[in-house]
Amino acid sequence: MTDFLQLTAAGLSQGSVYALLAVGLIATYTVRHVVNIAQGDYAMLAGLGSISLVSAGVPLPVAILIALVTVTLASVLIERLVIARVKDLTTLVSIILTLGVSTLLQAIMLLVWGAEARRLPAFPGEDLLIGGVSIRSQELWMLGTLVVVGGGILLFYEKTRWGKALRASAEQPVAARIVGISPAAASVIAFAIAGFAGAAAGVVSSPIYLSIWSGGLLLGLKGFVAAVLGGLVSFRAAIVGALLLGMLESYVAGYVASGWKDAVAFFILIIVLIIRPAGLVLRPNAVRV
Amino acid sequence: MRRTHSRLLTSAAVAASLALAFTGCSTSNFGGDDGGGGDAAEEGPVKIGAVLDITGVGANLGVPEQDTLNMLAEQLNEEGGIDGREVELIIKDNQSTEDGAAKATTQLIENDDVDLIIGASRTGPSLAMRPLVEAAQLPTISIAANAAIVEGSEWVFKTAQNDVVVIERILDDAESKGYTKVALARDATGFGEGIAEIITELGAERGIELTATESFEPSATDFTAQMTNLRSADADAVIIWGITPSAGLAQAAYVQIGVGKPVYQSHGVANAAFFEAAGDAAEGVIAPMGRLLVADQLQEDDPQKEVIDQFIADYTEAYDTAPSSFAGHAYDAWQIAVAAIQEAGTDPGELRDAIEATSDFVGISGVFTMTPENHSGLEADALILAIAEGGRWNLYEE
Amino acid sequence: MTLLEKTPGAVRSKTGFWPNNRSTIIGVAILAVIVIIVPFTATSSMMNIAVFSMIFALPAIGLSLLMGLAGQVSLGQAAFFAIGAYTHAILLQKFEVPGILAAVCGVLAAMLAALLVGLPMLRLRGHYLALATLGLGFIVMIAVREWEFTGRTTGIYGFGRPEVFGIPIDNNGLFFWFVAPFVIVGLVLALNLTRSRAGRALSAVNDSELAAESLGVNTYALRVKVFTLSAGFAGLGGVFYAYQVQIVSPQVAEFHVSVELLLMVVIGGLGSVWGAIAGAFIVELLSEGLRDLIPAIIPGATGEVQLIGYGIVLILVILLLPGGLYQAVRTVWAAIRRRSASRRVAAAAKVPDGTADAGTGDAPTRAFGGVPGEPAGPPAVADDEPIPSVPAISTPLAAGETILEVRGLTKRYGGVVAVDDVSFTVPAGRIMGLIGPNGAGKTTCFNMITGAIPPTSGTVSFLGEEVQGRKPHVGAVRGLTRTFQNLQVFTSTDVVGNVYMGRYRKGRAGIIRGMLGLQGREQYRNEEIAHDILDAMRLGDVAGLAAGDLPFGRQRMMEVCRALASEPALLLLDEPMAGLSGRERDMLANLLRALRDAGLTIVLVEHDVAQVLSLADSVAVLDDGVLIAHGDPESVRNDPAVIVAYLGTDAEEAKHELEELEEHA
Repeated sequence: MTDFLQLTAAGLSQGSVYALLAVGLIATYTVRHVVNIAQGDYAMLAGLGSISLVSAGVPLPVAILIALVTVTLASVLIERLVIARVKDLTTLVSIILTLGVSTLLQAIMLLVWGAEARRLPAFPGEDLLIGGVSIRSQELWMLGTLVVVGGGILLFYEKTRWGKALRASAEQPVAARIVGISPAAASVIAFAIAGFAGAAAGVVSSPIYLSIWSGGLLLGLKGFVAAVLGGLVSFRAAIVGALLLGMLESYVAGYVASGWKDAVAFFILIIVLIIRPAGLVLRPNAVRV
Repeated sequence: MRRTHSRLLTSAAVAASLALAFTGCSTSNFGGDDGGGGDAAEEGPVKIGAVLDITGVGANLGVPEQDTLNMLAEQLNEEGGIDGREVELIIKDNQSTEDGAAKATTQLIENDDVDLIIGASRTGPSLAMRPLVEAAQLPTISIAANAAIVEGSEWVFKTAQNDVVVIERILDDAESKGYTKVALARDATGFGEGIAEIITELGAERGIELTATESFEPSATDFTAQMTNLRSADADAVIIWGITPSAGLAQAAYVQIGVGKPVYQSHGVANAAFFEAAGDAAEGVIAPMGRLLVADQLQEDDPQKEVIDQFIADYTEAYDTAPSSFAGHAYDAWQIAVAAIQEAGTDPGELRDAIEATSDFVGISGVFTMTPENHSGLEADALILAIAEGGRWNLYEE
Repeated sequence: MTLLEKTPGAVRSKTGFWPNNRSTIIGVAILAVIVIIVPFTATSSMMNIAVFSMIFALPAIGLSLLMGLAGQVSLGQAAFFAIGAYTHAILLQKFEVPGILAAVCGVLAAMLAALLVGLPMLRLRGHYLALATLGLGFIVMIAVREWEFTGRTTGIYGFGRPEVFGIPIDNNGLFFWFVAPFVIVGLVLALNLTRSRAGRALSAVNDSELAAESLGVNTYALRVKVFTLSAGFAGLGGVFYAYQVQIVSPQVAEFHVSVELLLMVVIGGLGSVWGAIAGAFIVELLSEGLRDLIPAIIPGATGEVQLIGYGIVLILVILLLPGGLYQAVRTVWAAIRRRSASRRVAAAAKVPDGTADAGTGDAPTRAFGGVPGEPAGPPAVADDEPIPSVPAISTPLAAGETILEVRGLTKRYGGVVAVDDVSFTVPAGRIMGLIGPNGAGKTTCFNMITGAIPPTSGTVSFLGEEVQGRKPHVGAVRGLTRTFQNLQVFTSTDVVGNVYMGRYRKGRAGIIRGMLGLQGREQYRNEEIAHDILDAMRLGDVAGLAAGDLPFGRQRMMEVCRALASEPALLLLDEPMAGLSGRERDMLANLLRALRDAGLTIVLVEHDVAQVLSLADSVAVLDDGVLIAHGDPESVRNDPAVIVAYLGTDAEEAKHELEELEEHA
């Protein structure tokens, strides 16, 4: 039982990272119908950037803030310089483009920070031991970040005028324009949200999972799997799906074989896509993609 | 019609680019004089190839090895080479992959016509190279650990201590402390393969049982699941068998999760990088390794002391940092190879015999005596036990 | 899903396995000569690049077919490459199977795996498919890494080099010659496929899936086949890779291999088989060059530094040159041609009399097929003479028997009922008109009858068989063909190419016959028929033009030609008169009457009520999704419910329609 709880705790904290990435992916998908393969690279970029700042003597909170802002701007820049320049953004084009962006970001990280995995210092806090289950304070930070950042994005979409318009623009660009958001602005906002969510995931997970130039792809893909569980439209379902995915991976690693852990997500992906493409969304007829 | 012309032009463009790409004078693309490393001339430079894990998960091993070989080659050529022949060192990066090792080996054999190969840094790539060098009948000295690399091989030797002797040292210490149960977390690649079986076998002689085996990829960063299972394995001690950084990260995860049992590590962590990866969690870890990292604590009469001190001095002067055990493995491979070439020249068969006849060679990792049955050449006395204290390895008083 | 921008060009049929058009012959010959010469002239490092380029050209050709022809993005091509390599290596090393057999098994294993995963996965669309293939790549990589049988992380090694006629292939020069023939044959097979019935159907699917399916193309089955074929190419590449590298380890299945393959295809130009080979060489060169260059520029750079080049090239090619090398070469070539043509014009202009006209007026237009802005002069449909000849049609039933029966057809979208419990029958050999105000549900009805959308409830029986809810090709192969209100033109080919696609259901040749070039006679005949129909419909003069360049009205006529080319038994026309000139309308009306007299059944959705009432034998009226009247034109014309329907929805239009009715009366 202790093992089970331990694995569950580890799965939840890993799942919170996937959840943040899934939120970012859905943000861009709903507005631009782009599955951003570079989403996970935002996380690594933010992680590595803040590590450099900390080792240069910048206090941790400041370093994190700078990394968050920089990566958010980088995401917007990518939207303006690459995504927005394509008139007819078909699936094929968007996948090749974001794959190119992802490859480029990875190469830049490799050249700047080298090939080794690096670690951000743990955030302040005491590790807990509850009934034999060890919970690292960083894991609480990760779940907390999901609540604050993920919840904030959710509130933005559901409560604010702009957020609602953004949602609407996914289906009806005209509707968005009525509220005063041009499609271009909507796209920029979506990419900013994606950049911010990815960066938040990257800095908060770095003390445990480390940051490495090549780590973003797999992380982003798992975020995508979680997003598919949300039917690529529902933030809530995607967050739930991400936490489930994290736990399932943890159980497979603990009870089956740790080597198969990374395959779990893709089995789920293929099975879900074939059986229930609408994901965990209860009323799947809202938007069909 | 339009399509027709453009296809014609496409073809022409392909042709033109090919023609451009392939102009240049031909060296033999049909296998050189003899299709292998074969009977290279006894004149001209001696060519020594090296296949190392310079990038990728084995970079902590391969980079100091590369530095060592470069340094030694330079020294040797300054001294006039081998019998007046210059030594040409050709180092290839296998990117820590089996694939890359095989490609690099093929290139060294086919394009560079080397007389001997050193490498690879880790077991998996070394195993991948083995059939290639055997087919080409080329003497090769691996600097990786697993005994499978040389077992039954005519052409392959190695300089790292055998995993069996390392495990013997660990289990001896465990037995002396009264441990009866151990749990294992091992590297999932070639380095860790067969380790559980050896522990089970050797442990039985000492009344020690292996209660759990977990594995981890050398590229892994999250070890929670494995460590959770080790925690519930109810062992007296834990063996973590891997290379840095993964073995160091596993160590950190092990301490974080609060298992609290003593840890043994392998000779795969015999470098400073282990402390970078494990941080404070390294404290108190015991690992068998060569004498290099505790050179300053050796007895004055230790037979290896002079060689080790000289190497540390040279290496530190050249690279401003202390060498790791892996640098030592490369040193030993180089010196054994050079001694054998001095003895027998570059005829592959004779060179092979000369390496096999290496006897009482005092190296960094121990004193080597090769035989036709033993292509590893080191015994248990090549190892000492070291303990991690205050961010470095210290000699452990048993 | 639409493809990358593609310049339309005519694809002509061919017969026989080996290329029979001049340029392809020259291209293949040049390639063969290069293959023979290279081992004698290349430096050893270049030779190394050449060998790996040849090996990777095979999976790249496969991927190019999949992405360019079938329009499917695969990010998991490395998975099939790995399956081929592993199967080959395991059979050689563990079972000591002869090399040829092991290689064949390697290719078959890759194809079998593709078939098994393709069957469910190719039902997915767009992003889902791409990412599912990516996931597949990871699963294969993890599976071979974790499985004892595949040698775990170290892989399979120690299986030795191939031998051909007793000669061991143990150096790069011989190995290059060993691979090259397979690449050349693979190239020819792939080129044949792009020009075959199946290849042209796939390219039509990329232009308009709906239209292609309505002509009888089973998109899904074709895609599965191409996916499998593409995996076969990848598997063959894997076989050679195993032989060359002498070890197969999990790295062959890694994502970066898939990315490299994708890059090869993108650089070469999607769907261009020559481009895939060129792309393979370029990527291998780029990779090798960057590995040397980057560390020289940035000291201390190690590892996979070539990625920076990959990323930049991927982005730049897509942004600046979406058609890749193929497009670049075409553009340059077209510019050269244009310049030389204009020089000829200039030279001709110096000649005082008008004799030069013949040389400059028509010829370049034809040579360029469909350069935008070059529509031929206005068509000369001067006289109102009736259609000289009626294209062939099928008459499976005697006139008057029920050919189409619709029962209780209903479509709901959420709470909105678009079509509500509509029932009618259509007798063979008659024209039925379906009219109604805007938004009455006419097109929805059409779409349900043809299978484009599934009904919420109700049945559609065509020739006694229920076809509702099945894909359009099901009805189409039985002779149910349609045209579209919003034109669905195959823009990547010319006019005759469009009409040729109408013949799809009359052809039989599949992918294998297509690749082997064993279908030429069938194709030639179908092309002739397409030409005949175009001539009959007075579109013969524009047969060679890009379909998208035709004026709207003639595109509509072309769609009718395309539908007629399939020798339908039942023709559904969705507003065929819209956008036609008065003269064209009359011609079409005459044609439809002639076709009816020949026994064809026609259902006509039309805005032009007067035309319908004068043409149709019976008329059905839809209003707000409900069938409010059905009968002969005379009774419908006087039906008060019909008049109210038109009045009620749009007074202006109804009044206008009424006046027209009066006039006719």
